[in-house]
Amino acid sequence: MTSPTLTAAASTSGATKIYGKDDSVVYALRDVSVEFYSGQFTAIMGPSGSGKSTLMHCIAGLDELTSGSAIIDGNDLSQMKDKELTELRREKIGFIFQSFNLVPTLTADENIRLPLLLGNNKGNEEWIQKVISTVHLNDRLTHRPSELSGGQQQRVAVARALASEPRIILADEPTGNLDSTTGAEILTFMRKAVDELGQTIVMVTHDPVAAAYADRIIFLADGHVVDEMTDPTAERVLDRMKSLGS
Amino acid sequence: MFRIALKGILGRKARLVLTSLAVILGTAFLSGTSVFSATLNKTFDDLFADVFKNVDSYVRSSQVIEADFGQEERQRIPVELVDLVAKVDGVTSVTPDLQAFARIVGSDGKPLGSDGQGPPTFGGIFMESDVSLWTIAEGKAPVGPNQAAVDQASAKAGKLKVGDTVKIIGQAGSREFDLVGIASYGDVRSPGGATFALFDQPTASEFLAKPGFIDAILIAGDDSVSDTELSRRINEVLPTDSKTETLTGAEITKETQDQIGSALAFFGILLSVFSFIALGVGCFVIYNVFSISAAQRQRENALLRAIGASKRQITSAMLVEAVVVGIVGSAVGMIAGIGLSQGLSAMLRALSIDLPSGGLTVPSSAITQTLIVGTIVTLASALLPARRAGKVPPLAAMRDTAIETAGPSRKRSIFGLAFITAGIGFVSAVTAGADTSLLGFGILGVFIGVIILGPVIARPVALFLGRPAARFRGVTGIMARQNSARNPKRTARTSSPVFIGVSLVVAVTALASSIKGQIDSVFSEQFKGDFAVSIDSFGFGGLSPSLATDIAKMPEVAGAAGLGLITAKLDGKGQYISAVDPTAIAGIFDVGLVGTTYADLTDSSIFVKDTRAEKKDWTKGSTVNLTFANGTSQTFTVAGVFDGENISDYIINKSVFEGTNIVNFDTSIFIKKAENVSEDDARAVLDKTVKDYGQGELLNKREYIDSRSGNVNQLLGLIYGLLFLSVIIAIVGIIITLLLSVFERQRELGLLRAVGMTRQQVRTTVRWESIITSLLGAVMGIVLGIGLGWVIVFALRDQGLTTFSLPVSSTIFIMVMSFVVGVMAAIYPAWRATRVDILNALATN
Ligand SMILES: Nc1ncnc2c1ncn2[C@@H]1O[C@H](COP(=O)(O)OP(=O)(O)OP(=O)(O)O)[C@@H](O)[C@H]1O
Ligand SMILES: [Mg+2]
Repeated sequence: MTSPTLTAAASTSGATKIYGKDDSVVYALRDVSVEFYSGQFTAIMGPSGSGKSTLMHCIAGLDELTSGSAIIDGNDLSQMKDKELTELRREKIGFIFQSFNLVPTLTADENIRLPLLLGNNKGNEEWIQKVISTVHLNDRLTHRPSELSGGQQQRVAVARALASEPRIILADEPTGNLDSTTGAEILTFMRKAVDELGQTIVMVTHDPVAAAYADRIIFLADGHVVDEMTDPTAERVLDRMKSLGS
Repeated sequence: MFRIALKGILGRKARLVLTSLAVILGTAFLSGTSVFSATLNKTFDDLFADVFKNVDSYVRSSQVIEADFGQEERQRIPVELVDLVAKVDGVTSVTPDLQAFARIVGSDGKPLGSDGQGPPTFGGIFMESDVSLWTIAEGKAPVGPNQAAVDQASAKAGKLKVGDTVKIIGQAGSREFDLVGIASYGDVRSPGGATFALFDQPTASEFLAKPGFIDAILIAGDDSVSDTELSRRINEVLPTDSKTETLTGAEITKETQDQIGSALAFFGILLSVFSFIALGVGCFVIYNVFSISAAQRQRENALLRAIGASKRQITSAMLVEAVVVGIVGSAVGMIAGIGLSQGLSAMLRALSIDLPSGGLTVPSSAITQTLIVGTIVTLASALLPARRAGKVPPLAAMRDTAIETAGPSRKRSIFGLAFITAGIGFVSAVTAGADTSLLGFGILGVFIGVIILGPVIARPVALFLGRPAARFRGVTGIMARQNSARNPKRTARTSSPVFIGVSLVVAVTALASSIKGQIDSVFSEQFKGDFAVSIDSFGFGGLSPSLATDIAKMPEVAGAAGLGLITAKLDGKGQYISAVDPTAIAGIFDVGLVGTTYADLTDSSIFVKDTRAEKKDWTKGSTVNLTFANGTSQTFTVAGVFDGENISDYIINKSVFEGTNIVNFDTSIFIKKAENVSEDDARAVLDKTVKDYGQGELLNKREYIDSRSGNVNQLLGLIYGLLFLSVIIAIVGIIITLLLSVFERQRELGLLRAVGMTRQQVRTTVRWESIITSLLGAVMGIVLGIGLGWVIVFALRDQGLTTFSLPVSSTIFIMVMSFVVGVMAAIYPAWRATRVDILNALATN
């Protein structure tokens, strides 16, 4: 259901990433050209080592492409210096990692506002309150990460990713460490963030059930984009994965 | 297991370097000071062996009065003895020797050398002979009352050349001489940076000492008999009533070396005290590094435990690491210490305490001491962390955090408080009248208590100190504040060296400012005049008593009184005795006579300091027997007591010396100007008089009082210099801890960078954490240092220290400095923190 009104929040063209030198080179990404559309929830799937994390890192400006380009909100990352990249991450990108998402010395509230605080930016208070209530964290705001459960910690991470109203949220296996119930909870929040708050999310996952929350799935194998699926269901994803032989 | 231990060491090179660094610094100071002391001793030994190289016999007066600090005052001998000695069979050459105060005035009119500081300025006899070390390098030897020679270094410094007229200040005043020669000493231009003016014997005796008298006779024999036999023969020809003694060359060499040796021994002890303080401070750093590395390896160790390693194996693996680090670190520290000893010489030179430059002496005892002490200290510091590492439950391998999280225990609070309470108990017992020696226990108790309690107070205090950072530096400040409080044990251990260093600095400063305050208030009270002439001539005489009487006669002056100082034997012990003219001094200088007046001081009476009189159980009318330097004795009746400080314990009338050959000089002259003369006018004429006289310096009341505290400042400078090394170790301790924390927080830093923290902000966070840690140590140090200073001042109350002054400006300065230290210590760790590879940091699960 790719309609012509869709615009890309982030895209790559001919993205290639090579690790190592000489005999031991590893092609983590080979000529990947993808677009992640605004207001969509995109999942990236693929076998271990297929380059999913590498793709995320290169879109986020955490890593440099060997060739090709990554563009976020019209900015070509390869042209930017460290300071500009840092500011870009702070203002235009939200992150959710698999674990260790939070700064242990800060409270949940401070963690949520961290990118804003770092930018000396008050942010949109109305929006932040909306995010906090969407992820049901109102009564946990003064707690430090060590006092929160794994699921609560991930919810704080989701809230943080949303707090600065970024152009795109990148999540690398955000539910990988959670049990299925808690995982489902987090995925529901992410879905809500797209549907109700109009956010753009790209998520890496191994779980067909998690991927089924997305609007569109991109399949990677061996550093290539090998397939794509829109409006997935868990069964269709599972079938596709089997046919891709992973 | 040992293989694992060694692998562990080599596997983490950065950690090894950091741990070793702490050991290196601690031991470097230890080795540096022992090498320095040994080199110094050797240099002086060589110097004197050289001086008396050709001397076979040595004749001097047997009349000597020994005073405090190894000072001695020996009588001079008549020059006629030289001829007697020359006739002795086996004697080939005799040389009269004299060494006294003299100051050469350069061609620009400025006297060479400095007043009271730096190398001494001497005058002596020049005579070409086998035993003299002086040789004429240029020109000829001085002959007669108008000729002089100077050493090469002085000639250069004063821009003097042969044929010039040179002004020299001696005991007899200042005089102009024809400069006929420039002399060199052995193969150096001047011995140890001292200046030397040389004359023929009659001129030297008359101008520098007393006509016809010399210090000693240096004798060379023809080697037909042993030195002992030669000395015996010489001694035989000397009349018994000349009160002389004859030493062999070996004896006088040994005696001089021993004298210098004991003077240096004090310095050596001072140095080793401070090197042990530095080592103690280093222990904290070593202990801290091992604790942190044990914590960081918790998971690794837990894994080893889980797969079957015993507690003991874990502990001993860590101890093996400690031994290796200890040996390697001490070895490097030993070498670094040699460099440090050179630095110490340079530092003293900067304080213009010039040392003869000799070779480097590295005694084997210094090497073994450094290696053994260094290794033991490292091992001891690692003991506790190693034991704790062994106690790690295998389950910790499954846990997520590898950070020390244990909060301070109750037991710790109780122990700490118990020590502090006991310490305060001792101190208050002393204030209530118990023996002063208990103060030491009191101080130790409080220090140990505070160190034990450190982790308990570190968190609240760090949070409090970090408040401004959190408020004004935004989220980076908040994180810095939380970081410094997140691991209270570590923060406390890191700030402990700062705390110890600062408390010592503050205590010493408080003591010094109390002493200065005391000197100030006492002199302000005692000194009723307007001006003073002051002199510092290294115990070689002083101002001629005639100067005071001359000044008193001036029309611009209402009165002037000289304060003389001699040494005399009392009950077999040398004592300083002040001598005054009672009529002149009344109304100008008040020593605080109690129930008596200056008028009571006759030529057979004596005033005694009240505390001394009490100790000796003397009252008015008791008798005191004094033996003067010329060997004569006199009995004095105690005429009264005085309570004034900063003057010797006894005062006699100057008239005692009239008609005797007792040498006496004034150390200060106090002057009251005539009422109708302005301060400026009086100063102008007095200044001219003193300048013409050539010796001493005219000061107004304020300047005089300040000059009295000058010595305190000099000592303070030395102690600061020595404590500075402890402070450096403390700073390095902060650097090491921050670095280890940065390594430990890789992931957190990676996360922060990923979500948009700039490098600048990373730096700010680390910097503020460092500042908070440093301030924490400084605040605790200042509080304890002031307490310690007060206790020391209290302990010295018998020595006349009655007021405690708080060093306010120094305290503020130390706070500012600890801030700066925090900033500087953070430079490298902060830089490292900005270099954290975000992807790597995030990948380490
Ligand atoms: N720093 C690196 N140096 C060398 N090779 C690397 C590096 N990072 C990743 N690779 C390689 O690049 C390839 C892609 O890695 P990437 O982490 O993107 O895989 P992934 O799809 O995220 O796998 P997983 O599902 O296991 O997380 C892998 O073969 C990996 O070994
Ligand atoms: Mg991955």
